Amino acid sequence: MSNQEKLVQAFSDALGIAQDLVQDTLEYNTIKEWDSTAHMVLISELETVFDVMLDTDDIIDMSSVAKAKSILGKYDVTF
Amino acid sequence: MISVNSTPGGIEVSGYQIVLVPVQEHHLDLLRTWRNSDFVRQQMVNTQLINEAQQGAWFTKLKTDSSQQHWVVYYKDTPIGATNIRTSDNTPVSEAEELAPGLYIGEPKYQGNIIAFAPTLALYDYCFDYLKINALRAEVKQDNIAAMNYNKKLGYREVDRKDMVTLMVDRESYRADTTMIKRFLSR
Repeated sequence: MSNQEKLVQAFSDALGIAQDLVQDTLEYNTIKEWDSTAHMVLISELETVFDVMLDTDDIIDMSSVAKAKSILGKYDVTF
Repeated sequence: MISVNSTPGGIEVSGYQIVLVPVQEHHLDLLRTWRNSDFVRQQMVNTQLINEAQQGAWFTKLKTDSSQQHWVVYYKDTPIGATNIRTSDNTPVSEAEELAPGLYIGEPKYQGNIIAFAPTLALYDYCFDYLKINALRAEVKQDNIAAMNYNKKLGYREVDRKDMVTLMVDRESYRADTTMIKRFLSR
């Protein structure tokens, strides 16, 4: 499974949304499924899937799917 | 989790990546700009625009009013919002058993961001652990679904519904419901 596929799967599982909704433009708090609680579940999922531990600043900055990719890039996860 | 320091301007609270700095005169222009913005004003009970004279009178009263405390929220040395606590019966905050908190994020970049929880966590820790209050009470407009959901994430339960919805949270519910978010904002 590619990192892109893993990312889509992680978002889909954590937020409980269909995979085709996981687009770069999807942003935190713009759909009811991506609220603060789901955000924490998402962070846990991404950390598990990509074997990283995100800084608090990155957790705060992770405001969209595109931003998630950019942040994970700092942890050597390439897309 | 938090540190509490007495400063010449009042009590300063730090934790969860943010600092609550007591409101000082040099904050007033920024606070008025935020308070009068559409985003913030529409969440207020009083949606009227506030002018400089009204704000000046408020600030003068604040200096000698022990029943409320107001702070500016700083994140990475940048002011992003404001928060406060007050008693409902003019009891000094330091003697209160119950307090009503208030918060808005004025900086557009951080509105709707997970960081909005940080000042609340710092403030509530201060209320429960330092002021030793029993409960917090929030009044929310019925149509303010975002605030309702936000408060429920903090352990609030609805206790009354009239023109405004009244929500309350005690120490145990707050602690139980914020364990996960605190962990993420405390790394």
